Amino acid sequence: MKTDFGYFEEQKLGKPYDVRLLRRLYPYAVPYKVMLFWSIILIICITLLDLSLPYVTKIAIDRYIVPQTDAIKARLTKGPESKSRYLIADISDPEIRIVVNKYRELFTIKETDARISYEKLGSLEKEDLAVLRKDDFAGLGVLTAIFLVIILVNFGLSFIQKMIMEYAGYMIMHDLRMKLFAQIQKLSIEFFTKNPVGRLVTRVTNDIQNMHELFTSVISIVFKDLFLLLGIAIVLISMNWKLAIVSFMVLPFVLYASIVFSGRAREVFRDLRIKVAEINTRFSETIEGIRVIQLFRCEENNFHNFKGLNHENYLAGMRQIRVLAAFMPLIEILGVFAVALVIFYGGNNVISGGLSLGALVAFVAYIKMFFRPIRDLAEKYNILQNAMASAERIFLLLDSRSMLPQVAFGSQNSASNLNVIKEISFENVSFNYVPGEIVLSGISFKVGEGEILAVVGPTGSGKTSLINLITRFYDPVSGLVCINGRDIREFETSIFRSKMALVMQEPFLFSGTVRENILKGKKDLSEQELENILKVSNCKDFIDRLPEGLDTMLVSGGASISSGERQLVSIAKAFAGDPQLILFDEATSFIDSQTEIEIQKALNNLMNRRTSIIVAHRLSTIRSADKIIVLSKGRIIETGTHSKLMDKKGFYFKLNQLQNQTASASILH
Amino acid sequence: MKSTALIKPYFIENRVPIFFGLVCLIIVDLLQLFIPRILKWAIDDLTALQIDSKGLFFYSAWMVGIALMIGIFRYLWRRCLLGTSRRVEEGLRNRFFAHIQILSVSYFDKAKTGDLMAHATNDIQQIRMATGMGMVALNDSIVLGMASIGFMAYINIKLTLLVLIPMPLIVMGTLFFSKKMHKRYMEVQGAFSDLTEVVRERFAGIRIIKAYNLQSFETKKVEVISKKYVNKNLGLVKIVGSFFPMMLLFSNISLAIVLYFGGRQAILLTITPGDFVAFLSYLGILTWPMMALGWVTNLIQRGRASLDRLNRILQIQPEIADMPDAKPVHRIKGGIIFENVSYSYKRDVFPVLSKIDINLEPGKILGIVGPPGSGKTTFLSLIPRLYDVSHGRILLDNKDVKSIQISGLRSRISFVSQEPFLFAGTVRENIALGNNNIKKDELIRASALASLYETIKSFPDGFDTVTGEKGVILSGGQKQRIALARAFLQDTPILILDDPISQVDLETGALIIQSIRAMAGKRTVIIVSHRLSAVMLADQIITLDKGSIVESGTHARLMENNRYYAKTFRLQEIEEGLGA
Repeated sequence: MKTDFGYFEEQKLGKPYDVRLLRRLYPYAVPYKVMLFWSIILIICITLLDLSLPYVTKIAIDRYIVPQTDAIKARLTKGPESKSRYLIADISDPEIRIVVNKYRELFTIKETDARISYEKLGSLEKEDLAVLRKDDFAGLGVLTAIFLVIILVNFGLSFIQKMIMEYAGYMIMHDLRMKLFAQIQKLSIEFFTKNPVGRLVTRVTNDIQNMHELFTSVISIVFKDLFLLLGIAIVLISMNWKLAIVSFMVLPFVLYASIVFSGRAREVFRDLRIKVAEINTRFSETIEGIRVIQLFRCEENNFHNFKGLNHENYLAGMRQIRVLAAFMPLIEILGVFAVALVIFYGGNNVISGGLSLGALVAFVAYIKMFFRPIRDLAEKYNILQNAMASAERIFLLLDSRSMLPQVAFGSQNSASNLNVIKEISFENVSFNYVPGEIVLSGISFKVGEGEILAVVGPTGSGKTSLINLITRFYDPVSGLVCINGRDIREFETSIFRSKMALVMQEPFLFSGTVRENILKGKKDLSEQELENILKVSNCKDFIDRLPEGLDTMLVSGGASISSGERQLVSIAKAFAGDPQLILFDEATSFIDSQTEIEIQKALNNLMNRRTSIIVAHRLSTIRSADKIIVLSKGRIIETGTHSKLMDKKGFYFKLNQLQNQTASASILH
Repeated sequence: MKSTALIKPYFIENRVPIFFGLVCLIIVDLLQLFIPRILKWAIDDLTALQIDSKGLFFYSAWMVGIALMIGIFRYLWRRCLLGTSRRVEEGLRNRFFAHIQILSVSYFDKAKTGDLMAHATNDIQQIRMATGMGMVALNDSIVLGMASIGFMAYINIKLTLLVLIPMPLIVMGTLFFSKKMHKRYMEVQGAFSDLTEVVRERFAGIRIIKAYNLQSFETKKVEVISKKYVNKNLGLVKIVGSFFPMMLLFSNISLAIVLYFGGRQAILLTITPGDFVAFLSYLGILTWPMMALGWVTNLIQRGRASLDRLNRILQIQPEIADMPDAKPVHRIKGGIIFENVSYSYKRDVFPVLSKIDINLEPGKILGIVGPPGSGKTTFLSLIPRLYDVSHGRILLDNKDVKSIQISGLRSRISFVSQEPFLFAGTVRENIALGNNNIKKDELIRASALASLYETIKSFPDGFDTVTGEKGVILSGGQKQRIALARAFLQDTPILILDDPISQVDLETGALIIQSIRAMAGKRTVIIVSHRLSAVMLADQIITLDKGSIVESGTHARLMENNRYYAKTFRLQEIEEGLGA
């Protein structure tokens, strides 16, 4: 199937190690442990309150509504002649005495108590009955009030618990997201060439989001359910341990089913995570390449490809449904099976007289309660599987070691103090992206402070790669790249990069205002200085034309201004950083010669005592360079000044001649 | 259009599985009500001691049998209903993708990629959840709710009515909270979009971030958005977090009502204590539908918020579309006329182009030069109708381009953008762009014209070299030449080149210009370049400045003119050692 669009495939993952994953997640929860602790306390309180409600109802029934003989001996005593229940009325109360007197024949009076058989109550008038049982009414009222208080408290606690839990959950997610983002930022450029942006974005957004439920609902439900489960199990065992063991016989099956399904569910969830990332990648590519798609009318073909991918996502989704659709009912069946076991085994005991009927009924009720949390847990188990599939991907990124070694030579030896870049030198540097495909080989040169070095050569000769080594986007395969004579790897990248400014072939601007894009967080630049930078980078003209000048919002990719203008903004950004070393990688390719010359002049003035390395195709740009390097197929074939190279009549001379020829040909034309 | 209309077709399309699934769900609900009956019979028989081991086995077997049936039907409804929701997901996403592709380029000048990505994954997933589990919860709350209310009414109508007292509160509460939930979900989803975009942009611009040491600065930016997302979620949790316990509260209030009033009635012997207890247990059954109702409200509001967001984009009509009477193109000679053409991206800002008049005969070459921001790229974009003119008109073979079907129009134009865009794929795929039956020699011819063939031959995998996202593994010049080969492969009467040799070296550039010049007479060519060697041989050259044509003519004419063109030419000439 064709959904591999030439990316590096995502790594297949082996056996899941949930415990290890959970242990790795634990440190992220630590800062919120107080909250989580209180949350768990609240969960326990809420559970207790939940459990107390049926108990309140039970008291109401036993004490006031249907008085039981054993529950309230004081109020009901067995009559001497029959086993029927009696209601005792206190005739010291005048209202009750009136009622008792009204139905004299129904009552037997003993001192201050009047007794009436429970069956005879029906023959009393409603109002009289109400008077007679006003204490029960009052008791019922009190219990209802207690009931209301409990449910209100329960409501309040549930809300508080939810808020605490969600707060902790979202903050943990936030922390994890920031950690992941910071980590990805640290990875080497090579990593970014292998992983499409859409995939990485998916990890930081969708996957983190996916884990949120792990921290909120799962934790609360797991604690609540485990708590319930344990409680009920204790009750069951204490009621009748033999019956309890019989009913627990299904538990190994529950466990087994969970393990089997978790493996399958994980596979499916993993597939889904990958597909979501691919969908994001396809969307991002389509949106960014929309001009080409529309101009070359690839809509249909592109849609067809996407449809295939989307369908694979659908199929993975259906697999997930199939796995879960079998798992959940299976757990339920096992629950009913346990009840059936109790009925069969316990019922036989009842028949043989080993068990009371009441105990059996209670047992069945508890078994049913027992399986509710198990079902909940099973449900959450799936969320867990899903979250774990995301967690695996996230940790894979967090574990990624594809960064360049930082300060490889112990701290005391490392050149942490770099004040001025005095010299950049390459010593016999070779480099490749893929082993065997030489990009640069045997490159040696030096650029001193304040010099301008120009790099020319045919496309694909390794010019950009050379720049990439100076910014240490990559490390050379062999040889040394040195700053001030010391291996570049001895410095922290941030130290030397902060003294460099790179303007790339394809200008990239962030969404935000023009000002933000130029300043990039630098606040110590006065308006006057900014104005000056805009002038020398030739930005002033076009910025003045923008509707809101410097504060005009640019959308990402900067489509609202032209490519040439974006290059100008990038150059302004480079100037704003007040760098000691300027790297121009075909920084003026979208700019016309006249503007370019002006920037050139600015470079010359501004770059006094500053070093610059310039890659350019238009030879006019590089004519004033102190030194010119001509690269071809990764090797330096000529070096020298313009005039020296022209005298040499080599490759450089030929390039110039060529331009000469095209130009003169046209004049003759 | 209401956003719910978006998912309607999928419901209609899947009405059979939905119906079947709902029937299964109802069967499951009824069977579940049946199990307590068996239990009751078993207990009753045990009470009367009228049962032996065999009878007990019989009852147990019945229960297991019913449980199996429940299991099967539950499996079926899950497959049918949740499967339908997956269909909805797939269908909506396809539709969204197709819609995105037809939107005009001007939309993408403003749109944020991350935002659209969030729509495609996050929002559509929320809609899926709302349709799938939403249907289930809705069905459950209705069926079980009705069933338990029915049972209660059977016991005592007056008490049932009392129990239903909180109902209006529930309805009102639900309505109130739904509105809030919807609004907050919109905000949460919006914040998710922002988050996606801010992260995407940072990864896309990783080289700049690294080169300028912006890691901590950019992390802070992401942190702000991530915090905002957290806050929006917490705002939502306030609603959802109070709504769920509230639903439980209401059903518990019903319980309190039964306790008090039902208790009184039992005391007064209006109902039997047995009825009272039964009533309580049926009320217990009502708790789940009440919770489900809360759940369904939540799910549906979340889905609706996402649906509204999606709908907002699906409602956008492409600014540039075929006119109702647009005609297909047959043969095109390639004459292009601009008549008093003006264009501005927004109504209130400076026109990017104003009052452009050009007459380019078929087979001729037009060269365009000018400083950055003078409107060159816009000029080119108007011809294949990436944008439509604000004033005036553009004629192709004397027909207004607006009267031609867009696909036909574009199929007659080969366009090379200033910044080449490569798809992740192979070099071959990037040149052929979906045209799978392209012959190898055609590929070779096109890449040779673009001076690319030698380079491709030097790749170990040749045309099958994988380019990576946006062609990351290739150099700028290589990418540019792939874009050129892509255009040369199509033998169209019109060729539009936006700065086509900006990133290649002089030698290669000269070869490419030769290729282009060889097309003169056969194809109409418009070429923008900062390298005058690329435009100097054109039949007509114009200089654009601030959106207007400031000079035009042949090379010789413009040289006499001694203005922008001549100055630039001399600069390049002198600087490059051409000498006089």
